[in-house]
Amino acid sequence: MKHKPKQEGVSRRDFLKLSAIAGTGIALGAAGVGAIAGIVKPDQAKTASAEGERIPLYGEHQAGIVTPQQTYMYLASFQLTGSDRSSVIRLFKDWTKFCDLSTSGGTMKTGDNALLPPSDTGETLDLPAAKLTITFGFGPSFFREEGKDRFGIAAKAPRYLKDIPRMPRESLDVSLSGGDVCIQVCAEDQQVAFHAVRNLIRMSTGYATVKWLQEGFISATPGKTPRNLFGFKDGTANSEHDSSSGYDEVIWAGEGEPAWMKGGSYLAYRKIRMLLEVWDRTSLKDQEDTFGRYKESGAAYGKSGEFDAADATQMPATSHVHLAKMSKQRIHRRAYSYTNGIDPRTGNVDAGLLFLSYQKNPDQQFIPMLRMMQSSDKLNEYTSHVASGMFACPGGLREGQYIGQSILEG
Amino acid sequence: MFKRLTTAASISVASVLLLSACGQADTKEAAPAAQVANQQPADKSDSKNAVAGDVGKLQEEVAKLQEAIGKKDAAEVKRLGKSINDLWLSFENTVRQTFPLEYTEVEKYEMPIFSASAYDKIDFDSLKGNADKLNTALEQLKNAKPSTANTSEILNKAVDNYKAFVDEQADNLAAGTKAFAAAVKAGNVEQAKQEYIKARVYFETIEPIAESFGDLDPKIDARLADVEDEKTWTGYHRIEKALWKDGSLAGQDKYADQLIKDTEELQKKIKELKLEPKMMVAGAIELLNEAATSKITGEEEIYSRTDLVDLAANVNGSKTVYLAIIPALNEKNPDLASQIDKQFLATEELLRGHQKDGQYVTYDKLSTEQIRKISDQLSLLSTLMTQTASIL
Repeated sequence: MKHKPKQEGVSRRDFLKLSAIAGTGIALGAAGVGAIAGIVKPDQAKTASAEGERIPLYGEHQAGIVTPQQTYMYLASFQLTGSDRSSVIRLFKDWTKFCDLSTSGGTMKTGDNALLPPSDTGETLDLPAAKLTITFGFGPSFFREEGKDRFGIAAKAPRYLKDIPRMPRESLDVSLSGGDVCIQVCAEDQQVAFHAVRNLIRMSTGYATVKWLQEGFISATPGKTPRNLFGFKDGTANSEHDSSSGYDEVIWAGEGEPAWMKGGSYLAYRKIRMLLEVWDRTSLKDQEDTFGRYKESGAAYGKSGEFDAADATQMPATSHVHLAKMSKQRIHRRAYSYTNGIDPRTGNVDAGLLFLSYQKNPDQQFIPMLRMMQSSDKLNEYTSHVASGMFACPGGLREGQYIGQSILEG
Repeated sequence: MFKRLTTAASISVASVLLLSACGQADTKEAAPAAQVANQQPADKSDSKNAVAGDVGKLQEEVAKLQEAIGKKDAAEVKRLGKSINDLWLSFENTVRQTFPLEYTEVEKYEMPIFSASAYDKIDFDSLKGNADKLNTALEQLKNAKPSTANTSEILNKAVDNYKAFVDEQADNLAAGTKAFAAAVKAGNVEQAKQEYIKARVYFETIEPIAESFGDLDPKIDARLADVEDEKTWTGYHRIEKALWKDGSLAGQDKYADQLIKDTEELQKKIKELKLEPKMMVAGAIELLNEAATSKITGEEEIYSRTDLVDLAANVNGSKTVYLAIIPALNEKNPDLASQIDKQFLATEELLRGHQKDGQYVTYDKLSTEQIRKISDQLSLLSTLMTQTASIL
C-alpha cells in the first residue's frame, strides 16, 4: 500500500527496450479513429522484479474493489454517443486493450511515424505500473435510456441497478451525476492514474463523451485505516468482512443476477462536499459526538481500540456510526478525499469526500442506510451531497475477453 | 480549380453567404444507397460504365433545372436542388474513389445548388452559372479515365488545386474588405455589420496561411486580448468593437484604410507563396484546431458573437484541403477518406441546424449542451484529419 520508490520498479521504457529485443511488440488493427494504432507489451518473464507494482487485470473479480486502496483515484463517467451496439463493442475492445497494457506497465507506441501524433501520450514512459487498477461499472442508462433500449441489452440489466432515489437534504448537480459507463482508475502514482484516464478519454472520441471527471486522494501508513478530511478514520468497518467469505456476504453479487454480474458488485457513488471551515471551528467533543468515535484512536464510544465491536447504545442517537450500526447492514467503503480550489465568494475551500461503496444488494445494504443518514445524521450539519451515481460492475475478466463482452454478445 | 467559396460568394449578393459550411443534407436517408455504391468494383474500368449511367441521369435532372431557372420557377428549382443532391449522394462514393479530381469539380457546383434550395430567396443568375458549370463537370466525369498518376504527382496536383483556392480567397478577402471599409467610412453601421461578417469568412477559411505572415496577421486579426497596448490595436476586431459595442463608427476611418492596405498586402504575399504538401495538410488540421479552441469557446468574436460563422469557415477551409487530397488518400488509405467524408457531412449537418433564415445564430444563443455537441464532433473530425499526414 505504501508508495515504493520508483527506482525499485522496472520502468516502462525498460519494457519497451526488452520487448523490442524479444520482438514481442504486438500491433493491433487500427481502431476507428486510430486510437490504438500499435502497442508494446512488457515482457512478463524479464520483469518479475516489478511484480509487486502490478495488479492483474484478469481474475474472478475486477481489480480495484477489494484491492487495498491506492493513494490516487480518478473517477470518470461517460455517455455513449454511438447509435449501435457495434460502436460500443469497438470502444470497449479498445479500452480493454489499453487496460491490459497499462496495468501491466506497457504503453502504446509513442513515435514510429513522425508525421502523426503518437498513439500514447507518453507521460508514463519512465514510470512503473504503480498498482494501477481500472474498474468498470455500468449505469442504468447503459441498459435503458429514457425508456429506449438503445443497444438491445435491456433484458440483461442487473437486478438492483437503478439511480439512487431522491434523498432529503441533497442538492445534486445532474451534470456531475450518473452516466452510461463509470471508470474508477486508481494507482500509487498520480501521473500513472492520470495517464490512464486521459488516454481512456482520448480513445472514446467518436464513441462516447466524457460526462464528468473527479479526482481523489487518500493516504495512510500501511496497515492503518486512512483518515478523511475531518480527521476521522474512514473504512474501519471494512475489517469486519475482510475475508473471502466476508466479501461474498457483503460485496460480490450473484443470486438472481444475470451471469455477467456474478462476481460483480454495485458501486454507489456520492460526492459529498464537506464544510471544512465550520468543522475546524467545532469543538473536539462535538466532532466526536458527530461520529460516535474518538478522533485519535478511532475507537467507538465506550471502547478503547479502533476495531473493538461498536456498541450503538453508547453513542449519541444521531451520530454517524450509531446510524450505520442501526441499519444493521454492511457495505465495503472505498472513499477518496477531493479538493477543488476555493469558493471565490467565501474563500472557503471546496473539498470533501468522493464516497464510494461496493455492495451486492444496494436496495438492502445501501439505500435504506443512506436515507436514514440523510434524515438524521448529525454529520449533515457539516456536509452536503452534490453528486450521485449507481453503477453495476461486472464480474472479472478472462484473458482474451473485453469488458462488457458477456452483456453485449450472446 | 477550387472555386467553392467563390461560388458561395456570388450567391452572397442575395445575402446567403453565411452558409459557407453547406453540404448535403439528408445524409441519413441517403446513406443506404451510398453504402451500396461504396462497394468498390473489382476492376476500376468497370466502374466507369456504372458511373456513366448515373451521370447521365444526373445530367437529365440538371437540364430540367436549367429549364426551371430559365422560367424563374422557384418551387421547381428547389425541388430539383434536392433531387439532384439525392441522386449525387447515391453514387458519389464510387466517384470519389475512382475519379477523385472530377469528383471535387462536381462537388463544388452541386453543393451551392443544393444549399440554394433551402433558402427563401433564390438568386437565379448565380444558380444558372452553377448549373452550367455542373453540367460541364458532369460531362468531364462521364469521359474521365481512372487516375494512373503516381503519388508525388497526385500530391503536387492537390497542392496546385488548393493553392488556387487560397489565392481566390485572398482576392475575395481584399475585395470584401474594400466593401466593408466603404460601409465603415460611409458611417453605415448596418451595412458595415453585414460586410464584416462576409469578409470574415474569407479570412477564416485560410486562416493558417494568413497566420504564416507573422507581421500582417496581428494587424488584421488581433483581438483586444492579444494586444499589449489598446492604442496600437488595429484590424477587424477593432472595428467589430466599434460596430457592436460602441455603436459608433466615429474615428474608424483610419482603421478601415489600414485594413484595406493590410489585406491587399496579404493578397500579394499569398500569391507569391510557394505551398508545400506538408504545409497544406498541417493547415487543414490547424483550421480545425482553431475551430475547436477559440471559436467553440466564443473567444473570437466577443462583440459580434458571430463565432459560428468563423467556425464554419474554418471547417470549410479544412474540407477544401480534404477534397484536394482525396486522390492521395484513395491511394494510401481509402478507408480514412470514407470516414472523413462521413464526418465532414455530419459536422456540416450539425452546423446547419444552428442557422436561422440562412444565417448562423449568434454564439450567445447556443446552450452548453449544443456547444458541447459541436465540440465533440470537431474532436472526432480533427482526430481523423490528423491521420491524413500519413499521405506525405
